[in-house]
Amino acid sequence: MSLDTRGERLEGRPGPPRETLGIRASTVTRRRLVGVTLVLAPAIWAFARALGSGTDVVNANGIPVLGRLLAAAGDPAHSVAFLEVVARAAGVTVVYAVLGTAAALVIGALGAVILSDVAWRDEPAPAVRAGRLVLRALLVAARSIHEVIWALLFLSVLGLDPLVAVLAIAVPFGAQTAKVYADILDAAPRQALSAMRARGAHSVPALAYGLLPPTAPLLLSYAFYRFECSLRSAVVLGVVGIGGLGAEIVVSLSSRNWDEVWTLIGAVVLLSAVVDLWSSSVRTDLAVASCSDWSAGSVAATSRTRSVRARWSAGTAVAALVVAWFASGVSWSGLVAPRTRMLTARLIDEMVPPALPSGGWPELGGAVLDTLSMAVLAMVLAVGLSVLLGPAATRVRPVRFLADPPLRWWTPRTAVRPVARVLLLLLRSVPPTVWAAIALLVLFPGILPGAVALGLYTGGILGRLVAEAWENIDLRPRDALRAAGVPAVAASLAAVLPPSSHHLVTYTLYRFEICVRDTAVVGVVGAAGLGSLFAENLDLFRFPVVTTLLLASLAVTVASEVAGRWVRKALTA
Amino acid sequence: MTSGDPVLRLCGVEQRFGLRTALSGIDLTVHPGERVALLGASGAGKSTLLSVLGGSLPPTGGTVEILGMPLAGLRAAGLRAAQRRIGTVGQRLDLVEQVRVLHNVNVGRLGRWNTARALTALALSRTDPTVEAALEAVGLGWAVHERTERLSGGERQRVAIARLLVQEPDLVLADEPVSSLDPSRAAEVLDLLRTATPDGTLVVSLHQPDLARRHCTRVVGLRGGQVVLDLPVAEVDDRHLADLYTAA
Repeated sequence: MSLDTRGERLEGRPGPPRETLGIRASTVTRRRLVGVTLVLAPAIWAFARALGSGTDVVNANGIPVLGRLLAAAGDPAHSVAFLEVVARAAGVTVVYAVLGTAAALVIGALGAVILSDVAWRDEPAPAVRAGRLVLRALLVAARSIHEVIWALLFLSVLGLDPLVAVLAIAVPFGAQTAKVYADILDAAPRQALSAMRARGAHSVPALAYGLLPPTAPLLLSYAFYRFECSLRSAVVLGVVGIGGLGAEIVVSLSSRNWDEVWTLIGAVVLLSAVVDLWSSSVRTDLAVASCSDWSAGSVAATSRTRSVRARWSAGTAVAALVVAWFASGVSWSGLVAPRTRMLTARLIDEMVPPALPSGGWPELGGAVLDTLSMAVLAMVLAVGLSVLLGPAATRVRPVRFLADPPLRWWTPRTAVRPVARVLLLLLRSVPPTVWAAIALLVLFPGILPGAVALGLYTGGILGRLVAEAWENIDLRPRDALRAAGVPAVAASLAAVLPPSSHHLVTYTLYRFEICVRDTAVVGVVGAAGLGSLFAENLDLFRFPVVTTLLLASLAVTVASEVAGRWVRKALTA
Repeated sequence: MTSGDPVLRLCGVEQRFGLRTALSGIDLTVHPGERVALLGASGAGKSTLLSVLGGSLPPTGGTVEILGMPLAGLRAAGLRAAQRRIGTVGQRLDLVEQVRVLHNVNVGRLGRWNTARALTALALSRTDPTVEAALEAVGLGWAVHERTERLSGGERQRVAIARLLVQEPDLVLADEPVSSLDPSRAAEVLDLLRTATPDGTLVVSLHQPDLARRHCTRVVGLRGGQVVLDLPVAEVDDRHLADLYTAA
């Protein structure tokens, strides 16, 4: 992502980056070879690590149990009493998501103003610059730790309080929002703002008049995207026992009430579908960045369009916030209560100095490698699912000739598309913890169940992202080839495959970074990796080890981000 | 500053961008009520000089005094206070496309408004007689609640002038404000710029010597970043102009 246009502004003449000028064919081949190796080698290694230990992978005793689970899909629980439980749990999940998103947006907005360059009239003083650097590092740390891990940490200080769920969403998402919002502000045209400042306008009014209006559609669109993510997180957080649909699913799974599991999964899918549809309709209406743009961190798309739907949605969101606030009974006083302060101080005191787990460096190193191989395998599965379902989920766009043939209102693709979309929705709506619990019915604990769970979940997200990106590919080159008499397959291979595979690679690498972070969540429910080690040591109150594991997670997340950037660069050479 | 003191005084001003010298040895004094036309070929330094005069580009050499205040001695707050009294119209209009015309006009008053008032005005979208009068003066009385992005190029230019009118500046600096307008509209805009300040003090860069003759009292000619001509408008003849636009 190249949002930093400072160089361009200073030079005053945008142009291609120097490194792309006059690049040699041999360099391109070499870089691509390196890129492909960097993708293939980890996949082979991850398979070897997951399967090569010689122990059994499949738990044959679990296959009948899985059969019973699948059979129960035909008869989900539908007693009035249970449906009431489901409705209440859904309410709790939505409330957590709304409050978590709101708090994340507040953190994000404040952080963005501090981090962005445009918000400062002049070059900030050295002390401010140092403070910004510290804040940036804190935000990177905050977003590299998974919501579930945050929830576990907050639990040990606040106990079973709704505030735990709100904070667990707000802290990492707030950090992510601050980064994205700062990028949006810095990428906005700033001539009007500079002119206002040159007329002696005060800082805040200048930002409100000159910067907010052009960036508002993007900021709003991202807020809705964040809400989508928060809802998924609110379900996932159920695993730590703070209520909502996720918690009910965990209860029903562990008591093997499969009919209840299906009803709850149905509720999660329905809720996700409503929020996904709402969020994408607002984005489409604002004609700004698509979901895939946000996921890939691009804020290039801008619009001048005003949207009535967006305005209504923003109004509804504010009303929902007020309702959520009163319905949740969340009280911020818990944060400053003497008991909280005392427990926080004790937690911090117990967390330092960090210590190695009982197995020493080999155990820590093994957990890191397990985490990485789990993420790699998950991505292999996710890419497979995306390649399988993504094209089917993409809208059909017929070839445009000079004389258009009459449009057929029905083709096999028209029927396949909704099925593919529902499948993708199902894959991404069911929390990875639930996928992991199901995988653990038939697979022994280890890398594989975690990878399968994460792969299914990530496949649902990646499939949707690439389908959305593929729908926006410019098809005029293909149409031109078709008009020149090139057969359909050849035209698609020449004009559609290159941009499609580019999107797939880009989003796969971005999702890999997120997937590494997400391994924590399946680890917590019994798969392998750092998450599993974390949950184990937290249960035993080994806080110095918890610190080490947090630092290791941070290092792995940052390293995967850096590696992802390298591979992207190599592949796009 | 008393009424007879100069509004602008430049002594030996120099402006360098790396190795390139955009302005050198500029001495210029402008008194209240003067209407100064800056003439010169493209790249002669007119826009740079206007940026220096507006306080947004600190010169790399020499001294600048704006409205009786030496620029070099001004801290950030003092500079802002001075800039509030200078109205600027650029080649780019610097309008915020996404807001209503009303708010773009109000931008002219942001220097005088405190934060609470500015934010309230943005939130409430309520018009007031000052804005209405300014928009009436530029012939856009009907457009007060119109979205800026829907206006034509000429209408946007007039919104920028209305913004200047509500600012009530003591001095107007205009950088090629009529370059994209037809002759009658151009004359109309220059008349409006004259009325923006109490005594009509105006420094305007132009590419049309005829307009300078009709609307200004003094002509300052720039070539290669230096002042090569500084005469009352009545004394400027075609030979002067030909010299100005001939390559150095």
